This record gives sequence, C-alpha cells and structure tokens, in this order.
Amino acid sequence: MMAITRRGVLAIPALAALPAAAEAAGTVRIGYIEPLTGNAAAAGQSIKAAAMLAVDIINTPHPDLAPMPLAAGAGLTRLGGAKVDVVWADNQGSPSVGQSDAIRLITQDRVVALCGAYQSSVTLTASAVAERYGIPFLTGESVAANLTGRGYKWFFRTTPFGPDFAKLYLDFLADVAKTGMATGKIAIVHENTDYGTSVASSISKVAASRGVKIAQTISYSANGTDVSPQVLQLKNSKPDVVIFISYTSDAILYMKTFKTLGYRPPIVIGDDSGFSDPSFAKSVGDISQGALDRSAFVAGKPGSLPYKVNALFKQRTGRDLDDTTARSMQGFLVMCDAINRAGSTKPEAIRQALVATDLKADELMIGYKGVKFDSHGQNILAYSLMIQLQGKGYVPVWPAGRATAKLALPFKGWT
Amino acid sequence: MILLQLGVDGLLLGAVYALFSSGLTLIWGMMNVVNFAHGDFVMVAMYVAFFAFTLLGVGPIVFVPLAAITLFGLGVLVYVALVRHVMRGPMLAQIISTFGLALFLRYAALWLFSANFVSLPDTLVGGVYDLGGLRLSASHLLAGATALVLTLGMHLLLTRTDLGSRMLAVSEDRTAAALVGIRPDPMQALAWGIGAASTGVAGALIALFFYVSPEVGNSFTLLAFVTVCLGGFGSVPGALLAGLAIGVIQSISAYFLGPATKDVAVYALFVLLLWVRPQGLLGRA
Amino acid sequence: MKNFPRVLLIAAAAALVAAPFLTGNPFYQRIAALTALAAISASAWNLIGGYGGQVSFGHSVYFGIGAYASLLAYTKLGVPPIAGAPLGVLASFALSVIVGLPSFRLRGHYFSMATIAIAALAEVLVTNWGFAGGAIGLMGPASPRSLADLLFRSALPYYALFVAVLASLLGFTYLMQRGRMGFYLRALGSGERAAESLGVPIRRYKLYALLVSGAFTSLAGSLYAVMVGFIDPGSGFGILVSVNMVVMSALGGAGTLFGPLVGAIILVPLEETTNALLGGGSSGAAYVVYGAIIMLIARFSPGGLAQWWPLLSGKGRRGAA
Repeated sequence: MMAITRRGVLAIPALAALPAAAEAAGTVRIGYIEPLTGNAAAAGQSIKAAAMLAVDIINTPHPDLAPMPLAAGAGLTRLGGAKVDVVWADNQGSPSVGQSDAIRLITQDRVVALCGAYQSSVTLTASAVAERYGIPFLTGESVAANLTGRGYKWFFRTTPFGPDFAKLYLDFLADVAKTGMATGKIAIVHENTDYGTSVASSISKVAASRGVKIAQTISYSANGTDVSPQVLQLKNSKPDVVIFISYTSDAILYMKTFKTLGYRPPIVIGDDSGFSDPSFAKSVGDISQGALDRSAFVAGKPGSLPYKVNALFKQRTGRDLDDTTARSMQGFLVMCDAINRAGSTKPEAIRQALVATDLKADELMIGYKGVKFDSHGQNILAYSLMIQLQGKGYVPVWPAGRATAKLALPFKGWT
Repeated sequence: MILLQLGVDGLLLGAVYALFSSGLTLIWGMMNVVNFAHGDFVMVAMYVAFFAFTLLGVGPIVFVPLAAITLFGLGVLVYVALVRHVMRGPMLAQIISTFGLALFLRYAALWLFSANFVSLPDTLVGGVYDLGGLRLSASHLLAGATALVLTLGMHLLLTRTDLGSRMLAVSEDRTAAALVGIRPDPMQALAWGIGAASTGVAGALIALFFYVSPEVGNSFTLLAFVTVCLGGFGSVPGALLAGLAIGVIQSISAYFLGPATKDVAVYALFVLLLWVRPQGLLGRA
Repeated sequence: MKNFPRVLLIAAAAALVAAPFLTGNPFYQRIAALTALAAISASAWNLIGGYGGQVSFGHSVYFGIGAYASLLAYTKLGVPPIAGAPLGVLASFALSVIVGLPSFRLRGHYFSMATIAIAALAEVLVTNWGFAGGAIGLMGPASPRSLADLLFRSALPYYALFVAVLASLLGFTYLMQRGRMGFYLRALGSGERAAESLGVPIRRYKLYALLVSGAFTSLAGSLYAVMVGFIDPGSGFGILVSVNMVVMSALGGAGTLFGPLVGAIILVPLEETTNALLGGGSSGAAYVVYGAIIMLIARFSPGGLAQWWPLLSGKGRRGAA
C-alpha cells in the first residue's frame, strides 16, 4: 500500500522534467491539434504533412510563390526573420483529449496561437480553453455551424461552413435545372455524427428558405457494415438528386452498393469529406464516374499558385492535396500571416491582426474570394466550387468562370 | 421484389456475420474466455488479403488460405503466450488481457499501415448476377456460400470427429479430460488456432467487398458478441442461425424504419432475449 | 493492511492529495483532476464489478446520464450545469431498478454481454434523440455567468471538488467493506451458488450495490460535463468509457478499497503523457505501448497490482498466484 502510494507521489515531479519548454531564439511556436490517431487519423496525418510544407514555405525563401504572403522571404520578416515551429498534439478524436491538448500547448509549450482541430466537437472544446486563456484559435477545417456565434473573442474560422455549402448546392442545381434536367426531387443521405447531422440540417434550412423541398432524408451510422437497404430505399423513391454527407468508409460502400444493385441516380453530389478523401477515387473511382463534389481547392492551371503548392505537396507525399487538407493549410497560413503582421507574439496583438485580416484571392493557395472575418470570426469571403469525378480524378466543372472541364450529367457510375 | 432483395441481402450479410462469429463462439464456448480482440483478428486477416494481393498479386484462391494459416499461427501464439496464463485467473484478468491485445493489434496496424482506407479492386471477384431483377454480387455470394460450408465443417469437426470430442471433453472438464489421457493445453491451443483460422477466412472474404482500415475491427467485435450470445455460447449452428437472423432483421428494419434504428432493433431484441432465455437460441440450458 | 500504521497511511494520502497544489504546472494539475475523476467512476464501478463480481460493461450509461443531465439542465432550464447532477442521480436510480433487476438473473458472461448491449443501445438512442442534441451533443456555458457555472481556467478547483467526492465514495466503500453488505458482496463475488446457499439475499444486495455504484458513476459524468463543457453520445455513452473503468479497477485490483484509485493513478498520467510525448510524433505508437503494458500486467499479475501489496509492504510472502 505504502510503496504504491509513494510511487504515485514521486511520479508527478518526475513528469515535470519531460518536455522542455525552452524557447529557441527567434522561433515562434504555434500549436496544431489534429486527430493523428483514431478514426480520422488519415485526415490528420495529411493535414500534418501539408502544415509541415507550409512551415517550409515560410521558413525558407520561395520566390516563385510570390504573391503568397511570407513565401518570398525567410521566416517571419516583421519579427526579425523568426522561424515558425509547430507543436503537434493528437486529439484522438476526443473532445476531452482536445481540451487537454489545448491546455498543454498553451501552458507547457507556450505556443502563441492554436490551429485545428478537425472534428467540430474537438474544435468546440479546445477553442473554449483558448478563449479562457486568451490565445487566438483558428480553424481552417471544422464546419459545424455552432462554432461561430458563441460570442468568442479569440476564435476565427477561414473555411466556408454548413450554410455556405447549402447555398452552393442549391445555386448549382438551379443552374443545372436551366438545361432542362429535373432537379426538384432532392434526397439527403447523411451519416449521423455531428458532421453529417449539422450539414444536413443546414441544407434543409437553406432549402426551406428558398422554397425548395427536400423529398427524403436518410440518416445512417457511418461504421455500419451494409448500406443496401438505403440504396433500395433510394431506388424505390427515385430522387433526381442524391446529396451524400459521408465519411470515407461509407462513401466507398455506397458506391459499391450502387453498382451491385444497379442503381444510378441522375445527379450524385458528395459533400467533401469521404468523396474528397484520396482513398475514395483510388478505390471506387472507376465505378463512381460523374460523382460531383464540392471543393475549395483545385490545383488549376500550371503556373497558378494552387498548382505550385500542390506540386510541392505531391513531391513530399506522392499525392495531390485534397480539399480538407488544403483548407486547413490555408488556415494555418492565415494565422502565420497574422502573427507576422502583428509584428509581435503577444496574443492581443495577434488577435487584432487577425481581425484586420484582408487577404485577396491571388494571395491564397485555395479558391476563396479572399479572407476577411466578420464579428463572429467567420471568413465572409470563403468559397467553394463544384468538381466532378471524370477519369482518374476530380476536375472543376462549375461555376463556368472557374471550370476547366465540361459538366457531364447524368451520373454514369461504371461502364 | 424489394422484400425479396432485402431478405436475400440480409441472408448473405448474415452468413458473413455467422462466419466471423463462428471462430469467436468456438473459443468462447470451449474456454469461457472472451476475446475482445476478435474484431481485430478480422482486421489482421483483411490486411493479409490486401497485401497478398498488392504485393504478391495473388487472388482469393491463394490469399484466403494464407489468411487462415496466418491467423492460425496468431491464435496459437496468443493462447500459448497469453491466454493460457490468464484463463484460470480472475475473469477480469482475462478481459483486460484480450482488451490489451485488441489495442495492441489495432494501433500496431495503424503504425505500420497508416490509417488510410484501402480496398481490393472491385473487379477481383467482380460481376453481378441479375436473376429477374434480383441482383446479387459475386463477392457476397462467395462469402455467403463459404460461410455456410465453413460453419457446417466446424460443426462436423466438433461433433463427428475424435479430435472434436477431445476438444469438447477438455471444455467440459479439464481435470477429468486430463485423467483419461487428453492433454488439455494442446487441445485448447488447437481450438484457438482453429477459431482464429476461421476468423481469418472470414476476414479475407470480407475484404473482397468491404474497405480495410486499422479501425475496421470495431464494426465487427460487438456484432460478433451479439451473434454468439444470441446463438448460445459455443454453439456453432446457433451462431449461424443468429447471424442469419441478425442480417435479415438489420436489412428489413433499415429499410422500413430507417438505418438508425437497425442497431436498436438488434440490440433490443438481444437484451430481451437474454432476459427471457439467457442460454441463447440454441444454447444448452 | 489492517495493522498498517495509520499515521503513515494518512501522511502518504495527504502528500498525494496536496501534490497538484504544489506544482505550478497547469497541465499536471489537469492530469491530477482527470485522474481523480477517473478514480471516482472506477471506484464506483468497483462496488458492483469488483466486490460484487458482476462485470458490467454498461456503466457508461450511468456516466452518460449524469453528463447529459447536467448539460440538459443548463440548456433547457438555464441553471448552472452542476444543478443537473441530482437529476442525473435520480435517473440513475430509476435505471438501476428498471434495467438492473432483470439483468441480475444473468450470470458471468451473460451479464457482461447484456450490459454491453444495453450501453450500445443507449448510445444509439441518444444519438438519434434530437431533444438532447442528437449526434452533435450539448454545449455548456461558453463563458461563466456566475461562480455557480464552475468554469475555471485552472484545473485546481475541479481537482479539489473531485477529490472531495472521491473521498466520500472511498469512505462509504470502507464502511461498507466492514459491514454486512461488504460481507455479502464478497460472498457473491467469490461464487453466486455458494452465496445463495449461505442464505445471502442475492438480488437485494446486488441492487443496493448497483444503486450506489450507478449514482456515483452518474455524478462522475456530471462532473465531467461541468469541467469539459461539452458532451456528445460517444464521450458520454461510448464503450470506451466503460472499458476505462474496468481496466483501471482490474489493474489496481478489483474488489479492493484503493485498487481503482491506484489503477487511475497509473493509467491516466500514462495515457496523457504518452500522448504528449509520442502522440504528435508517431501515430499509434503510444497505444501500442499501452496495449502491451496491459497484456503484461494481465499475464504476470492477473490479480491486479493489489496482489503485490502484501509483498511490497513486507507483510506477506505470497507472490503471484
């Protein structure tokens, strides 16, 4: 009894010696919370690779990426060329672990700002900690509507979120309807965790406000083993449009089941996530031809900034940047730019720089119209376009101004 | 027509449930040991199939036996190195041992293979049969048929062979079995091996139509528990019947009541059945 | 343990309790708070699972009920989250009677499996229950409206609160252990048939133990929700919530007074620091190590660490069985 208790006491001072919080001279530390293990680890690891690329772009000269802030010089120029250093924390997909991470990064690693945290639920709890400590928190990827609007002073979001996507889909469908295709009967199929539920309800709300009726909503569990009953339901009700809000595993399963049951809805829209995961195109790309997806990131024409950034990413990882990864990377870059403009690592100075952010479209590696925050910390210039799976990969097809390929409808699936 | 399609889909799926539960029921019924790592055994087998295909370029005729052999080895190893030592200890030690094993396997896979979803190409056992509107995929049919053969084989092995009766004797009474000259340890190691090997076959077949990832075992562990419990601990025909029943219930309830309720239907039925008939559908009283 | 010098015991306990106040490091203070919280639910589980030998995997239901009660009280009634804790405890009583009683007819694995299914059922139901936030979950107050919201930047106030609850739970367990109930439960834990033949009113005492166990687990859930300020079906009702209680008790020694506490003191800091050290670096490596440690303990010390205590304190000669 005694020995055990004593060991418990000793353990705590021993722990204190573990991570040295020493600040290297001329280094600015930013905390980055991502799901590096657990269900969403693939996304977390991909974001990590992209952020490390961003660090490299900032810390070493990249004159060819010219209009992008911080690319040309080495380090944060307004901070005497200080280098950016990321301290990583694994949230394991748990809101409580994410909170521990935030506390550790702020108090232990003395980071000046936080980015992350993929799952909206984790972003929610981690940013609450940042708010209490007065440290800026920026999410480039979490899309739940309830994140902004909490009255937080220290929270910023660069990514478009639920209502933006809803508008995008409805605008797109209205445009398609002009070609004479039926788009009136919409079915939403969503996984039932916070991501699927919140995006689905955003779409329903925006649709209702425009007088568009959602004919059918199917909610399912993403870790299920079989989706054929849902596909049969769809096959039976014959919607014009099916919008999927799915993670990777279930998106793959739906496409395989479409083929098995021989069902081709005229228009298939996937809401990012599962459809954007590189594994999706790799494993079921040849039976999902014509599937639509939204994306804020499109590599675009050779010579453009996104194209060059994508090339650098591909050089490191062997694959293309996907939408989620690119949105997170852009968020991180916005944070670094704000710290540089603040010319200081004081939290309040960084916060004010974030509030004053006004980035133009050509300074971004992603397809937003710019970055400018409203009073809730939401980027009002966030933007996405519609892309379509044609051949081996996705190509932008809408709106016309940004399209590089022709929209091909109806959904072809397999041959 | 829809009802028929739903029923057949459910049966094929249920056969797969039965297939990956039969290994669990063998171990569970014979040794009274709960294998929390069961779903992760399935995961290991799925990776064996995946890598056998991508690295060696071999098809199911090779990788299904390969997965069976690998898992047989894993099962024997786990028994000899771990379970043998904890199975006569308190029940809690048994539980945490296989729980630790589950964590170990899952995260070792994550570490080695990354968290990316991978899957075998759709064309490997491609083809869809259209029987007058009833559509069946070849890979589901293959898995379902193998499941039936395998569970039948396992049942015969246990009830009709000398080896089977020796294994059952050990499970009934270790000491008495030892007295009549049956050495319990090799018998139980064999039971683990066979149980794991059948799980291996199941995993390799599931990989034909299901994605593979380190976390995939999660989906299977609880379903296998429910299947085994419903069918009676240790009863192979029970697992088959329970698997089929669960498949059909899920398929029908997902269509008519919505997918969110399909688990509710299965778990609720399971709890009620436990309360009313605790030995399971076909279990011995 | 009975003849152990009481003074030393108290001194050691006091040092342990005070340690987080002495370190100025907020991260270690949070680990201490999380450890105390985990020790509450593990010790509560220990009443029915350790002493009574009824291995429940369904205690996450109680934890979830407590957590949801406090945040529902906040979102629906506007009261401070902690005010929902008594409601959670009442609901836990109802659950013990309605679900616990029929389950008590089941023995061994059947009982464990039934509890797993009940927990899974509860998780699915809450996920689809729009009133309670569905899959999105419920948020606590974004910023404190008054002290009663119990929103602090430092983890120390939480730690103090958790230790107080833990102390009263351990106090209850200590008294129970020495009383008739402890005797009955231990008889039950060592064999149900034997206990029955001794004339132990089995179901009644199982129910008593479950009522207390469930109430404290529910309280732990409420405290969790108050500290974290957010709850969703996975972090309230997920199977891992139950598994943690079981593993901590088993590691320290189920059916002993301090076993679950010892398990929590080892596992929570281990998990948090391995996450801090390895989590960012190599994905999954931390849990590989964690799984290996658990297997080693089960393999070489299946009675939990408790079986080593007599040896370590020089009181006994018995090693691993």
